[in-house]
Amino acid sequence: MIDTLKTFGSLAWRNLWRNSRRTFITLIVVSVGLWSILFFNSFMIAWTQASKQATLSVLIGSGQIHAPGYMDDPSIDRLMQPPDAALTKALNAPDITAWATRLQLPGVVVSEYKTLPITIVGVDPALERKVSSIPGKVVKGRYLKDVSDDGIILGLNLAKRLKTGLGRRVILMSQNVEGKLAEQSFDVVGLFDADKNTEDFYAFTGRTAEQAFVGLKNQIAEIVIVTPDTVNVDTTVKNLQAAAPKLDVKSWRKLSLFLAASDTFMQGFIYVWLGVVFALMAIGIVNTQLMTVFERTQEFGLLRALGMKSRLVLLLVAMESAVMIGVGVLLGIVMAAATIWWLSSGVDLSAFAAALEMFQGGQVLYLKYQPQAFIQFSILIWLLGIIVALWPARRAAKSNPVDAMRRLT
Amino acid sequence: MQPIVSCRGLTKTYGKGALSVQALREVDLEILPGDFATLAGPSGSGKTTLLNMIGALDKPTTGEVAIDGQALQSLNATALSDLRLHKIGFVFQSLNLIPVLSAQENIEFVLELQGRPSKERAERAREALKNVGLEGMEHRRPAALSGGQQQRVAVARALISNPAIVLADEPTANLDSKTALELISLMYRLNQENGTTFVIGTHDPRVMEHTKRHIELLDGKIANDTRR
Repeated sequence: MIDTLKTFGSLAWRNLWRNSRRTFITLIVVSVGLWSILFFNSFMIAWTQASKQATLSVLIGSGQIHAPGYMDDPSIDRLMQPPDAALTKALNAPDITAWATRLQLPGVVVSEYKTLPITIVGVDPALERKVSSIPGKVVKGRYLKDVSDDGIILGLNLAKRLKTGLGRRVILMSQNVEGKLAEQSFDVVGLFDADKNTEDFYAFTGRTAEQAFVGLKNQIAEIVIVTPDTVNVDTTVKNLQAAAPKLDVKSWRKLSLFLAASDTFMQGFIYVWLGVVFALMAIGIVNTQLMTVFERTQEFGLLRALGMKSRLVLLLVAMESAVMIGVGVLLGIVMAAATIWWLSSGVDLSAFAAALEMFQGGQVLYLKYQPQAFIQFSILIWLLGIIVALWPARRAAKSNPVDAMRRLT
Repeated sequence: MQPIVSCRGLTKTYGKGALSVQALREVDLEILPGDFATLAGPSGSGKTTLLNMIGALDKPTTGEVAIDGQALQSLNATALSDLRLHKIGFVFQSLNLIPVLSAQENIEFVLELQGRPSKERAERAREALKNVGLEGMEHRRPAALSGGQQQRVAVARALISNPAIVLADEPTANLDSKTALELISLMYRLNQENGTTFVIGTHDPRVMEHTKRHIELLDGKIANDTRR
């Protein structure tokens, strides 16, 4: 059998080059098809990761801990105490890169010209730098110095809408612990540049400054965590939930449903793309192989007359397809690897910054090799290609030697 | 002596009803071991149809065919393939060879289908080529061989598995007189030296002159069967 496969393999290879133009066309179809799948897969993963990273790094993190009910009603009545010893131990576990506490309360910001609704976020600046990209996005002025800093950081767009700016004062109003309206003026010490939603609806100050503003002692609204891997965050969530059974621990998938949905969509999209590309490839493969089989009807008849069993004819034609598609797959892998290598230093999409902001995308995508996808999609395309090529192979196997003899004589 | 080929009451009808054509009508024929026979007759007389029946390539409408004592009616497609592979050698008019294989590989291919080891295949194929006067042309592909040389390779391939019978359908049709004569002489020599049975379908008088038995078909019936 090995001898037969060797002979058939050699025969299949030589047969491929009997009509080199047709073979080249099929090779191009297969290789470009696989290239597009592998390239778009890497692109989609880079896009998804960049979007996810861009969104999660602003405020959400990999997950958050709240008091029960806070997510539905983020008011001063649904706060929690700082983490106890058990929760602190879980938060300091190796699978958590960083964590920070925040006090987030709804309020309004008032300037001389306008009053706008916002969320006032009290942070610990030292910890916040490890979990959020906002400190790095301050483009005017400075970020908060420490947890008691009573300056305020506004988004560029919010400042513009309020007609205020760096060094000016604004008044924040929010409900205090007694259910009364608290108000206090804050100096605008910094302006940050982020996505429009964050700029418009979030303002940052020191956590103890905000606690003092609304009359709290040490209660907080949330603990945000960052893990090295945002894909497998469920185990970390379970561990935290076990350490703090009375609190509500959620992964980013539950906190940002849009992001989770787009993540799932991107993963599904590559399979839709695979289906479309494969359908086109299948048409090309079947068409060229049918033409080959039709042209060689006499030859297959001769083989059958010589005593070659129909299953061996089928094997021969299937091997020709397997070799041809295999070469196309190898070419596709090389092309995709070269393209990804070329783009691995980053694809700058800043020209599309406005659209990217709408879709929460990063402005620079870093494409990476996805070895598992390379193997998975290459084998899949190769096998599917062989399966569709079985149709022309079956036609060849059914060649009637009498018809062949009739044509030959 | 047990016949190599035995046909009894062989008929073959193509099509149905008013449009049907009877290609063979009650043909009884025996081919004996060592026969060197021509199957002659005008176009449409049933030569190729009869060769197809004897070659296990087609089944008769009625009647029986037996090759080397084995009745073909009871055999399925796989068993018929096996029978062709081991007991029958074919030489066709043209396009006899697989174009991407060399002369030696074309001959080896039959042995490969029989599952022979590669060393034996190569030795026997080289010997077969030497036997038909093509020593030194082992690695030439069909396109690099003349028509006569291609037919010699086909003869070598037909004989490589020591078949019970070699069927040749118009083997000289595309050859010039000299080459045709050389091919017939070659087949005759192999018949004389090895006792290989040949049945040659032809209407080439040059071929008929060299055969020991002459079977003439007319309108699907054997009109004449003479031995010299």
